[in-house]
Amino acid sequence: MKAFAVAVLAAVALAVGASFLLGANQKYAYEAFSTSGARVSHPGTNLVGPRWTGDVTGPADGHKATTGS
Amino acid sequence: MARMKFLCDADRCIECNACVTACKNEHEVPWGINRRRVITLNDGKPGERSVSMACMHCTDAPCAAVCPVNCFYTTADAVVLHSKDLCIGCGYCFYACPFGAPQYPRVGNFGSRGKMDKCTYCSGGPEADLSTIEYEKYGSNRLAEGKLPLCAEMCSTKALLAGDGEMIAQIYKERVIKRGYGSGAWGWKTAYRETIAI
Amino acid sequence: MRQPSHLGTLAMAALVWASVGLTQPAHAVNAPDGAPNPTASSVNEDLLFRQAPTIGGRVSIPDAKAANLIQPQGREWRDFRESWLPWIGGLAILGMIAALALFYFTRGRIRLEHSEESGRKLLRFNGFERFTHWMTATCFIVLGLSGLNYIFGKRLLMPLIGPDAFAALSQWAKYAHVYLAWPFMLGVVFMLVVWVRDNIPNRIDVQWIRQGGGFLGDQHPHAERFNAGQKVVFWMVIGFGFAMSATGLVMLFPFAATDINGMQIVQGVHALIGVVFIAAILAHIYIGSLGMEGAYDAMGSGEVDLAWAKVHHDLWVKEQLAKTASGPQLGRGQVPAE
Repeated sequence: MKAFAVAVLAAVALAVGASFLLGANQKYAYEAFSTSGARVSHPGTNLVGPRWTGDVTGPADGHKATTGS
Repeated sequence: MARMKFLCDADRCIECNACVTACKNEHEVPWGINRRRVITLNDGKPGERSVSMACMHCTDAPCAAVCPVNCFYTTADAVVLHSKDLCIGCGYCFYACPFGAPQYPRVGNFGSRGKMDKCTYCSGGPEADLSTIEYEKYGSNRLAEGKLPLCAEMCSTKALLAGDGEMIAQIYKERVIKRGYGSGAWGWKTAYRETIAI
Repeated sequence: MRQPSHLGTLAMAALVWASVGLTQPAHAVNAPDGAPNPTASSVNEDLLFRQAPTIGGRVSIPDAKAANLIQPQGREWRDFRESWLPWIGGLAILGMIAALALFYFTRGRIRLEHSEESGRKLLRFNGFERFTHWMTATCFIVLGLSGLNYIFGKRLLMPLIGPDAFAALSQWAKYAHVYLAWPFMLGVVFMLVVWVRDNIPNRIDVQWIRQGGGFLGDQHPHAERFNAGQKVVFWMVIGFGFAMSATGLVMLFPFAATDINGMQIVQGVHALIGVVFIAAILAHIYIGSLGMEGAYDAMGSGEVDLAWAKVHHDLWVKEQLAKTASGPQLGRGQVPAE
């Protein structure tokens, strides 16, 4: 039973360790597929980028909110 | 309802990449993700041709079939869309897609490749039409406004055609008959199991 | 007979050649208004597909995958994944469960005979061996279930719990699959290191197989630390474990090692080996728990009854007892150093 408990704990610990190690080496598409001339910060998870306010006043005005701010 | 399709007339495409830029700008597509791209075949040789390619919104779409969480759906216009809330970023749709349309925010497959992104035929996602949340996740919804995809609308040589499959096939047919040649509707056989008979 | 047919072929070839030569210019070189046809030397889909199974070119995007224009092999991979794999996987796993159930209900458990209980205990697996086994085993169960979820989840589980709950579950299953793969790979390597010495096939195994592992005839066949059946399980785990690791690593780093068609093949191999591996391990779980009385103790407490060991692993017991009492015969609760 002790060996089993240690085994489960070790498996979880190794999995968590692997997740951090791999996460640190995870490349984002904006890093991997941009060239040195591209000034890309962290685009975030949405399409619209970090400066997006969500301020949509009318239909299809979404893109104007980012350029206006 | 219309059966929406894309058609790239390779004899007109000049590889200006305006469709790519239009798509990127319209939907605020981040770096590294290309919903549309222009591929040049036989580059630099006689008979070079360029083809603008994105999701073809296939009949019986392979991406939808292989998705392990069934996050794809087909709209009444036969546009293939997906839900970014359900997507687990497994990468299977890219293996199945004949056109390399699915794009992922992350390169490695550790944990997840992130929510898949692809051409929406400018018609958003499962959220309410023209809502903020829809715009954030999928970009603008031009179809809901009665407009066609921007890439095709602003194509300077009208090489890229979007709209009802029969109508764009008719336009292409007329062109081919008028000018006497045509290299065919690229990808139609693979996407729609049919080609344009002239 | 030969002469005319040969002539006929020649004539046909000449005719085809002539017709091609005659029709092509009229068709392709000039437009209706007589202008030269700019597509006379251009590429088209049919031509390119005749040259290669995929069509690719050049893109200005720094992503090599984007240069693929059409890869119809995606359709074949989809056929494999959606039409073949669920059947192969379902038949392999359900078939194994049915076979085990049939065996259980017709032959029953392999009981401990009275003579197999002596009260004296013998250490069979030390702490590190049990740790290695259980780390690999728990990872395998999670990997197996989350792997099957990719195939059967949307068919069986999704209708029951709804798309949102299923997507959340699948997301966590995916995290578990890709991260628990690492302790699993480590466990397979550990297993190879600690057990390979006792798993080299030899002549005793031939005799063991000839006697059907004790099912044929009334004499229990000789066996060392591991009998031929256990050796098969060991080498199966090592072989499949390494194959799953290699294909899994290729999929963890997509397109680092191979292109799109390579990824499809690797995924197919991973899935096929996976379902066979799961089916085989089901049999291993059965024989180690329900199927044979007394077998579980070896991996549970690590100690087996001396009399049981004398029947099932006689040569190993002889060897252990020869090592004197200071060797592997430990009192309860003592865990030896690895």
